[in-house]
Amino acid sequence: MIYRENRQVSLISGAVIVLSILLLTAHIKAPLHHEDHFYEHILVALWVPAGAAVTWYINNDLHLGPVLAAGAVGTFGSLLPEFNKRSDYLKHLPPAIYCGAFIGMSSLKVAHGFLFVFAASFFAGVLLVLSKSLFFGMGGKLGLIAFSGVVIASFFLFILSNYGF
Amino acid sequence: MDFETGILLATGAAGAMLTFFVNEKLKQGPVRSSAGLSLLVALFFHLFPHSLSPVLVKNIPLVFIGGSFIGMVSSRLLSSYIKIGLAGVIFCTIFLNTSRFFTGYGGALGTTASISLLAVLSLPVLNLRGRLTNGFEQLRKAVYTEDKRRVK
Repeated sequence: MIYRENRQVSLISGAVIVLSILLLTAHIKAPLHHEDHFYEHILVALWVPAGAAVTWYINNDLHLGPVLAAGAVGTFGSLLPEFNKRSDYLKHLPPAIYCGAFIGMSSLKVAHGFLFVFAASFFAGVLLVLSKSLFFGMGGKLGLIAFSGVVIASFFLFILSNYGF
Repeated sequence: MDFETGILLATGAAGAMLTFFVNEKLKQGPVRSSAGLSLLVALFFHLFPHSLSPVLVKNIPLVFIGGSFIGMVSSRLLSSYIKIGLAGVIFCTIFLNTSRFFTGYGGALGTTASISLLAVLSLPVLNLRGRLTNGFEQLRKAVYTEDKRRVK
């Protein structure tokens, strides 16, 4: 899609090709697999819809913009472990809330209402639970999960609307 | 490259490096570093919307928060400020040329950040023993070490 829209700029096409080759070479050379697999606790994933709904409300109902909304929700979420430093459960909440905040950054064109936000959060929550030991410590992982959740929810919405639901 | 593009590229690099600094050096954790800094930048442009040109006011917070996702990387995978800054520049380049199809999708910034970080991780680097390695191998090592630690 990026390539099709920027076909006239040879530099962009070149950059896309170089990036793809870099990713492919590294992936073949050092495949990202591991023997053990861990799951995130389901009670942690429950905070994804909470973060998403609050961010969506601040972003689209209060019209404060996506960055301000995600920043505020993320900052609040990161302060939760401070309430009880000995609690192991609270330490796992900030990533889940921040992941939800990315879903809430969606515009009204994509996320029409709370129902869509909760559907996207459900898929993102499932992916968050399953991907605990994948891409550990990698920046952008939470955004990738949120994006996958939004895309899957949009896909289901597209199918349902095509069948007249 | 015009002036505004240059500012945005610098913002992407600054967002990534600042977040990494607050995360690793000030020990504030990845989420607080990214969200807190992005909140400050977004608040500034919300309170002073006419401080810069409309294009910059609209795009600087988005590029900054996207860059800050790169800065959330663990220092075990990537510890060079130059490479993190480079990932920020790659992120901004992709962001400026992203297809209009994905406008408004939540998480698109994080995915772009992830792609740019993976591209930088795949750049060959020399490790301490002088053997040629790359960031992916470091990522694998980190995953294995973490798994073993949990099993113990």
